[in-house]
Amino acid sequence: MKQSMMTKTGKDKLFSLLLAAPAIIMTVIFILVPVVDSVIKSFTEYKIKNIISGKPGTWNNFKNYTKLFQNAKLPQAISNTFIYVLVVVIAVFILGMILALILNSGVKAAKIIQGVMMTPWVIPTVISALIWMWLFQPQYGLVKYLVSVATGGAVNDLAVLNNPKTALMGISIASLWKQVPLMTLLLLAGLQNVPEELFEAATVDGANKVQRFFHITLPSMRSVIAVAVSMSIIENFKQFPLFWTMTGGGPDGATTTLAILSYREAFVSQDLGSGAAVTTVWMLLMIVVTYFFNKAMKREETA
Amino acid sequence: MKRKQTAFTCVRYLLLIIIMVFLLFPIYWMVVTALKTNMEAYLYPPTFLPEEPTTASFKSLLTTNNQFFVYYKNNFIVAGFAALFSTLIALTSGYTLSRFHFKWNKWILAALMSSQMFPVVSRMISLYGLLGKANLINTRTGLILAVVAAQVPFCVMLMSSFYDSIPRELEEAATVDGAKRFATLFRVIIPLVKPGIVAVGIYSFLMTWDDYLHAATLIQTDSLRTLSVGIALRYLGELSYDWSLVNAISVVGALPMVLLFIFFQKYMVKGLVAGAVKG
Amino acid sequence: MRKRFMAATMTAALLAVTVLGAGCSQKAETPTTAAPAATENSKAEAADGTEAASEAAGDEITEPVTIKFANYALLEQGYEEFWNNVKSGFEAENPNITIEYVTAPYGEIVNQVINMAGGGDRVDMIFGEIGWVSGLADSGLTVPIEEVLPADYLADFYPAVLESFEIDGKAYGLPMYISPYVLYYNKDLFEQAGLDPNTPPATFDEMLEYAEKLSQLTDANGNKVYAFGQTTASVPVSGSSINAMILNYGGTLLDEEGNLSIDNQGFKDAISMIKLLDEKGYNPQNAKLKDLRNLFALGQLAMYYDQSWGFNGVSSINPDAKNFTASAKPLKGGAGDGASLLQAHCLMYADNGDLQKAACKKFTEYLITSEILGDYMVNITPAYPAKTAMEGGEMNPVLEGATGSAENVVAQTFVPTLSDLNLELCTLAQGVTVSGKDVDTAIEEFKKAAEGILN
Repeated sequence: MKQSMMTKTGKDKLFSLLLAAPAIIMTVIFILVPVVDSVIKSFTEYKIKNIISGKPGTWNNFKNYTKLFQNAKLPQAISNTFIYVLVVVIAVFILGMILALILNSGVKAAKIIQGVMMTPWVIPTVISALIWMWLFQPQYGLVKYLVSVATGGAVNDLAVLNNPKTALMGISIASLWKQVPLMTLLLLAGLQNVPEELFEAATVDGANKVQRFFHITLPSMRSVIAVAVSMSIIENFKQFPLFWTMTGGGPDGATTTLAILSYREAFVSQDLGSGAAVTTVWMLLMIVVTYFFNKAMKREETA
Repeated sequence: MKRKQTAFTCVRYLLLIIIMVFLLFPIYWMVVTALKTNMEAYLYPPTFLPEEPTTASFKSLLTTNNQFFVYYKNNFIVAGFAALFSTLIALTSGYTLSRFHFKWNKWILAALMSSQMFPVVSRMISLYGLLGKANLINTRTGLILAVVAAQVPFCVMLMSSFYDSIPRELEEAATVDGAKRFATLFRVIIPLVKPGIVAVGIYSFLMTWDDYLHAATLIQTDSLRTLSVGIALRYLGELSYDWSLVNAISVVGALPMVLLFIFFQKYMVKGLVAGAVKG
Repeated sequence: MRKRFMAATMTAALLAVTVLGAGCSQKAETPTTAAPAATENSKAEAADGTEAASEAAGDEITEPVTIKFANYALLEQGYEEFWNNVKSGFEAENPNITIEYVTAPYGEIVNQVINMAGGGDRVDMIFGEIGWVSGLADSGLTVPIEEVLPADYLADFYPAVLESFEIDGKAYGLPMYISPYVLYYNKDLFEQAGLDPNTPPATFDEMLEYAEKLSQLTDANGNKVYAFGQTTASVPVSGSSINAMILNYGGTLLDEEGNLSIDNQGFKDAISMIKLLDEKGYNPQNAKLKDLRNLFALGQLAMYYDQSWGFNGVSSINPDAKNFTASAKPLKGGAGDGASLLQAHCLMYADNGDLQKAACKKFTEYLITSEILGDYMVNITPAYPAKTAMEGGEMNPVLEGATGSAENVVAQTFVPTLSDLNLELCTLAQGVTVSGKDVDTAIEEFKKAAEGILN
């Protein structure tokens, strides 16, 4: 009787579940449970005291959230995060695409260049942050010197990370530097997979280079682009060490992203409930953004 | 037409040079700073070639600051095991995601997708408690577990796209032959996703190499620390910067990664192509 | 139908996994709840009087014991050797006691200690700054020092200094040595600017006069010389430095009860001064103390405020710095008398049972002596002693000019969210400088934010 119930689908299900189990168990125990725990904490007054004494937090009527919205910190962090993610993802994509197109166009030594170009990607984030802090250093930094030479001495006190107007840009540049290589690699791979026949047909039709790029190359790379860009979105949304090392969220809150705000609330102000509230908002935003991004990419696919 | 072609080539090379300078000059600057004395490093305008090149920083790295090599070793151990486990898990679980399309797959996928997005900060306290009860705090095992868990979602999804590119007929043929499912998976399918294994393994290795928050929180003993934390913690004090030394460390710290990448580049590129271009 | 059945089974299985996971963490919490009970117990014992502590501690320690000592300084090149020598020296004298250093960088060590405690693993001792005392005490991690150290030992510390560590009448930290924010200045630059290197400015007005001349200078490479450095970057210690400047002007940040008290001229004057310094280009923007130390070491900064031990950072960049560095008392501003904020490196203790406490006591007694700290305070970390027995020892020559400034200090009013408040002060300073806001607007914003933090 039972045997008959175990149809092919049933066996498939069991087999598939068995295989999926390790990933599910790891994810549930190490990620989902802690995250749910954190969301619960966001509704409570939960401070260091509670950790030490093992007492659960006490419900505090959304105070963590109301407090965050009242003092304008959260909206600022949200807008900083969005600006940063948007700027970096778009810039990484454009630069990566340009470089990939050039490398795919039969330039000399493309293979070697491709290998060498990956170096920034393998340098640990903390080190990248330091390299760029050093370049941006306000007194003896190279960037200050170069800008001063380039402008003929008109701008001779550029301190990228110390000015609220430019600090976010400074961090974006560092992050661009680290991320362009992988983007290029992925896009290059995608480019090399675009079937030659399509191009031949298009050339016969008399399409020029630009037209070919937008009508053939881009659409056939859709899935690569979807993967590469969504990776980039997630990575930048989560970016922490770069900000923490380079500016710590300053000056004047100009680089306080959700990552920095949550860390500051939880570990500097030692208000874990409030920090958890920030991460909850953060996670929600990230889920919404990736959802819409994926949806948009899917719609493209069906169109 | 010809002139247009030449102009196009010029623009192409110009852009290539600009982007490559952007990517590579900071690395040159790191190497040069490592070869300067601290007093020269603080010169303005800066010197583009060290006036009195010195390997003092590298020497001090080998002699007085040799703790660095302990971090180095630890990083290899942790990143190596993390890569191994992530790849194994990705191999089995990725297969499920690719081959079976049950209702809950959508949920598993959603769980994995969203897991990637959860910031490390938000789970640190709970994670610490969890590993604490298992007596895994301040051990490499604990760190490896935590890091693997953080990477599993992405690795599984990457691997599943590799499986996607393998025709189903192969399994169906094997099943018809009467081979058991596990045997089919391990004998027939997995050998076909070798590029995927390399890609996932190296990705996981690199991500572990770069991990900061996990290692910073879960490890307290200096002899167990990994590289990027070790550098940040030990050589970037509150008191002052020692830029020459830090740059020397960066050079030595980045070197094996660069070599590793150059060595595996072929597989890596192939792997990521297959992974990113589904089907 | 069957499909639905399977789905239900799977959901149940998934749920089971989740519940199991939750169950694990539930179960895991039991030991933590047990721990406070034990603590409660030993607290009760300790409450019998400090006598108990001293009695327990007085006995020779016969069984092997390891004390975990959270110490960020192990990761600082300037300090590392000293602390390693302390460990080996102490362990040689007390073969039964082992010191196990728990390390993390300056900015992370408090989190490290908290995370460890969250996992049920508490350190026995913490080396830190005075600003950390309130947060750690509030979290219940540290205990009053009288529970670890006998009254007669504590009696030898300057009472006024110990008082600055008190919360509700009990001190939660033991100062190793102290310092106000002193004014370091570069004698060579003073001479170049035609100023007398032996008469540093005494008031902010004088400082501005000096600064005008000093800011005309350039260093050997033609670089600008900054006249006066005051740290404003977003780290808590910058906030306490700004707080010290407010005290220079006779202003206040908090009243004695820990309420916000900033509607005073001194507060406003200090913030206006920070703005003025920035407008004149005297102060390097948004600098951390270590940035200032760098600039000072390279002869690109003529005067700056620092903790006395900051000189260690200066000399580690430029070993010749001792030849041109001199110190002066904090400046007077407005109606103020140049009072500064007491800074100290201190020891904090957790309650992990009598044996641990006894070992901590032994270690403390070994550490805070002229033999051990004397050389350190002269050559490595210029500072003033906190203990009577160490008075009259040799002093680092660079600190001579600031002699007496350690007496004119105000104790920090402790609030549990002090670090956060200090960071908000940095934001205020950045507001009037790099963001170009006017003083009143920025102070209003600060007030709003600070009230949110304090409530």
